[in-house]
Amino acid sequence: MSAQHDILEVRGLSAGYGPLRVLHDLDLTIQAGERVGIVGLNGHGKSTLFRAIAGLTDWQSGSILFDGREIGGSRSQGPGRYTHRIVRRGLALMPQGDAIFHGLTVAEHLDSGAHSREAWRSRRDRREQVLGIFPPLRALLDVPVGRLSGGERRMVSLGRGLMTDARLYLVDEPSLGLAPKISKAMIDALMRIDLSRGAMVIAEQNLSLLEGRVTRLLGMHGGKLKRGTDLPIGRSAALEI
Amino acid sequence: MIDGYVIVAAITLASIYGLLAIGISIVWSSLGMLNMAFGFTFAAAGYGAWFAAQQFPDSAAAVLAGGILTGALVGAAVCAVAFLPLHDKPNFTVRSLVATLAISLLGTQALLATFGPRVKPLPKIFGLKAFEITEDVVVTADKLGAVVSSVVLLLLVLAWMKTSRRGLEIRAMMQNPEGAALVGIGVRSTAFAVMAVTGALAGLAAVLLSQTYFVSPYAGLLPLIKGLIVALAGGLGSVAGALIAACLLGFTEAATSAVLGGQYVLITQFALIIAILLVRPRGIGGLLDETRE
Repeated sequence: MSAQHDILEVRGLSAGYGPLRVLHDLDLTIQAGERVGIVGLNGHGKSTLFRAIAGLTDWQSGSILFDGREIGGSRSQGPGRYTHRIVRRGLALMPQGDAIFHGLTVAEHLDSGAHSREAWRSRRDRREQVLGIFPPLRALLDVPVGRLSGGERRMVSLGRGLMTDARLYLVDEPSLGLAPKISKAMIDALMRIDLSRGAMVIAEQNLSLLEGRVTRLLGMHGGKLKRGTDLPIGRSAALEI
Repeated sequence: MIDGYVIVAAITLASIYGLLAIGISIVWSSLGMLNMAFGFTFAAAGYGAWFAAQQFPDSAAAVLAGGILTGALVGAAVCAVAFLPLHDKPNFTVRSLVATLAISLLGTQALLATFGPRVKPLPKIFGLKAFEITEDVVVTADKLGAVVSSVVLLLLVLAWMKTSRRGLEIRAMMQNPEGAALVGIGVRSTAFAVMAVTGALAGLAAVLLSQTYFVSPYAGLLPLIKGLIVALAGGLGSVAGALIAACLLGFTEAATSAVLGGQYVLITQFALIIAILLVRPRGIGGLLDETRE
């Protein structure tokens, strides 16, 4: 594997829910070490792209090579059936809505994210690292997540995804529903994550949060990514898509 | 009328209902399946215990192990037939309800065809001793044994759910199946664990109830109904709620038998559950839950 090894190579991906087709023949390549931002309006397929990569859409077709292995293909039913296998291969999806376990404590939550054998063995050290990134969680370790505020939940959700070393981090709208100051703290935390072995894609509506902080910025519109040349990093260009 | 005897009977019933209801409750919230084959698991486990008793007539441990192991095996088999092929299909809740009901009916007929309609007694595994607590309250060994063994097994299961990695995975799946998939938890392997453990609980309950009643092909029907209503009153999915509901319904049953007579038991139990669900639609568990989704 070379340094320019593609972590993710998506070719001709279409996906949707029931009769609704959300993604249209989408192509996307992510290389190791990249931190890519995807911007676009609500309902244009950012979340569906992430969910299709994790195998969570109702149906999908097209090729998804993850670390050189096919995880896509055509599928007309069984959303989520193979998600855990894709996750174990090194995908960390921090979804919109956080997908938290409301009755589990923060500590149990973080432990649940340590799904690989090595991560489970070293879960106490890893928990310390996550608490280093999100210090407010330390005082809440024994509190059920269902009693936390929106910002604290986001920290738990992101922290859970960091408990196992992933090859690809997909972060869906880290600023959604949060106060501007906390949004910025979330993005700052994401920027501190070490990507020497992997890559990260952040979907975001708020372009200003990502400007100048990511390797590449892509636009998503109507279920398609702007292909070929990447967007120049600038507000006006992205909003014209 | 509510004397020591009623209280002893109430505690015994509560512990057995607790076993049944927690099995149904855990399966519902982790797998999204209302397991109608639970009664069949119960009956089959009774025959497993009876078979073990034929082989080792003097060993109480063999009878218990026979019941618990058969329960776990039948639970896993139900999982293989009703859960694995269906769980990612549309309308899974209804399909699995029909599938487990079918297993229950077919299984009961299979037991009838294999073992015949005559009921079978289990040996008194806890002996025939009786302990006098006060002058008019006597606790027989089978009641004491039922309470102690079900409390011990329940505590073991709850401790396992609380501390082990598999338990963490099951609790995660109970609260958010998609979130569970996103932390690498496989639904299918976890489902086997859930169904085997709850089957084992049904197996223990079968051995314990057969100390008072007999093993028969239809023995699972009433325990299924009781387990379902206790789980409903407790708020499906809430372990603590199911335990409280088991105590309430055990007491109702014992008190009704003593005051009104045994034929009114189901009436007062259903009246109580309807009252609970009218006031608290999420059951007792809804009162205990301070978190939000």
